[in-house]
Amino acid sequence: MGNKVVAMLLAGGQGSRLKALTSKIAKPAVPFGGKYRIIDFALSNATNSGISNIGILTQYKPYLLNTHIGIGSAWDYDRNIGGLRILPPFTSEEGGRWYTGTANAVYENIDYLDELEPQYVLILSGDHIYKMDYNQLLNYHKGKKADVTIAVMEVPWEEASRFGIINVDEKDKIIEFEEKPPKPKNNMASMGIYMFNWKELRKYLRKDNKDKDSVHDFGKNVLPKMLEEEKKMYAWNFKGYWKDVGTVRSYWESNMDLLDDKNTLNLYDKSWRIYTKNKNLPPQYIARGAIVNNSLINEGCHIMGELNNSILFSEIIVEPGAIINNSVVLSNCTIKSGAVVNNAVILEDTVIEEDKRIGEIGDNKIYLVSGKKIWEE
Amino acid sequence: MDRCLGIITTLERDSNFGGICKNRPSYMLPFGGRYRLIDFTISNMVNHGLRTIAVYTGEKIRSTMDHLGDGKPWDLNRRINGLFLYPPINDNHVGTHFGDIAQFYSTMEFFDRTREEYIFLSNPNIIAKLNIGDAFRFFIDTGADITLIYREQLDPDGNLINCDKIHVGEDNVFENLGVNLSTEKRFNHYIGMAFVKKDIFIKILKDSIEQGNTNYFKDAIILYKDKYKINTYEFKGHVETIRDLKSFYKANLNLLSKDISRELFFQGGAIYTKSKDEPSTLYTESSNVQNSLIANGCVIEGDVENSIVFRGVKIGKGAFIKNSVVMQKSVIEENAIVVNAVLDKQTFIGKGVNIGGSILAPYVVEKYQRIVKE
Repeated sequence: MGNKVVAMLLAGGQGSRLKALTSKIAKPAVPFGGKYRIIDFALSNATNSGISNIGILTQYKPYLLNTHIGIGSAWDYDRNIGGLRILPPFTSEEGGRWYTGTANAVYENIDYLDELEPQYVLILSGDHIYKMDYNQLLNYHKGKKADVTIAVMEVPWEEASRFGIINVDEKDKIIEFEEKPPKPKNNMASMGIYMFNWKELRKYLRKDNKDKDSVHDFGKNVLPKMLEEEKKMYAWNFKGYWKDVGTVRSYWESNMDLLDDKNTLNLYDKSWRIYTKNKNLPPQYIARGAIVNNSLINEGCHIMGELNNSILFSEIIVEPGAIINNSVVLSNCTIKSGAVVNNAVILEDTVIEEDKRIGEIGDNKIYLVSGKKIWEE
Repeated sequence: MDRCLGIITTLERDSNFGGICKNRPSYMLPFGGRYRLIDFTISNMVNHGLRTIAVYTGEKIRSTMDHLGDGKPWDLNRRINGLFLYPPINDNHVGTHFGDIAQFYSTMEFFDRTREEYIFLSNPNIIAKLNIGDAFRFFIDTGADITLIYREQLDPDGNLINCDKIHVGEDNVFENLGVNLSTEKRFNHYIGMAFVKKDIFIKILKDSIEQGNTNYFKDAIILYKDKYKINTYEFKGHVETIRDLKSFYKANLNLLSKDISRELFFQGGAIYTKSKDEPSTLYTESSNVQNSLIANGCVIEGDVENSIVFRGVKIGKGAFIKNSVVMQKSVIEENAIVVNAVLDKQTFIGKGVNIGGSILAPYVVEKYQRIVKE
């Protein structure tokens, strides 16, 4: 990225609808796809796109996220020139404040951006699972001579009312925002990925901060304000896999997507690797008598039982006679012999006792299982 | 343990490995699905608190440089101490000499400069999860100048012929060092690990060179055994001695035993290696895997039995792999059969190809080799 781009990655979200998955960690730190955490996708996209400066805005329960990111070595961000900065809320002469919204979080770090003097600021979310070359977005943005370009993608009509919908003219210039409209005019949803000219953004962040009625959110305040004042705003149409994992069910579904041979999020693509912190575990062992069908297994697992359509994270023991169907099992779990697990998300460090039954194959429910409790959805 | 330097050196010949050591030293052989042999030696040192480690690399240095780099996976990329790599210099004032003494002597500055007072020597071709801390305490408490580590071995089949045989007297006193000819059912195997006081080590190097009576540190121990206080320490765990193709193959397959893999992979801390950022391994509907160790990044559609499969390997539908070691990024196409084989990195076994060796002499496919049906 020749022209200077600084990425600001919003990673402070709680993700309350993920229930126990986020009881101790922020949503970007939630494990995904056998060995990753959700934030790995945005971070890997950034490093693969050649972005050399990235600020990570943290707030909600950041301990594990901080441990995971460290100095950014896994994503090649431990650099002398550029690199990664973790930007938590801080205190100043006027007292301490929490980040009150996405725009406010960036506003509070104007000093960081001023120091880097970027031409463009790319706003990213640490909550999304996708692979994107941000250079394409930048080139489009430059080509249109836009003040801001928003990445959008087509979503199914029946889901369109869950998203921020963007209406454009025939040249893809944005003419209207609709936040979660009951009757959407089209099905192009904002992906929460914005490429701003820094000068414009800086102006509007300062303006927004003075506005007492604002909740300091990009989607609700800053972008509509820019539209109102007739700034050049364009929509860039992204095609590919993208998921905002909102609920336990969609979390389970997007994990299961990886087992579908038609899935477009190809994790094996060497030209666009997804990086993560290395756990230094030995290979997985598949014992004699084990049955493994259409499943993903990660390092350090010891499989003696039966797996069908499941995703296993690391260091999981599946005892002989245990059966796991259509489930996501997070690290360090033990499934004891005779246990049968269907359609479940099993949280870290859980032991499923002998002969325990969870769910039925066709019951259309998702079970979130911890050592203490089972939630149904 | 920060009082002890770690020295890694091997005198193993690479010619006994049937083509898999053409471009790499034997201590760099892939092992256990995602490691190199030397990872076990370095990780065990690091896990026991050694902070300064020197590797005498031998001449085939490219794969060593690529793998060890600045030592980051082992936390050895330190401002103070850390990892030192010493390729051989054959063109100095001791140029007519061969053997490890000359190599050690050529790095005298390293021994002078480092603050550690003791040396822990280790041979990366021998894997043993020695509790270095316990052994070090023995070495210090007994006031020895040199402590040699051995393992009592039962070797009725003569698998360990030509290994170092150590003669141990009462109270662990060192008597002599020779070569095992398998004349006895049991023997004490010197596993290439030793503690030496640094000043004694330096003195032995200088004496050997000045007097010109030995080129090997092992010979010097025999030569000077009455001059210094030398004792022995018994190691009781599992030992793998990798000195030829057969022992390499067997050591890999031994990891399918739960007890051995537990000990080698987990005891005393994790084994670190260069990470490759591979995703999880996918087992499709048509796969059938039995008693095998599978690394990450593989896509398995065929049958695998009693085998070690390294990172990023693809095994096609109807393919059958048995008793084999399949290294990184190899591709085995549909309906190929691979039995009792060692497939080096990035080999390609085409559709319907059958290859097989015997358990005693595995079939070797060399790096980048492609085998296709005419």
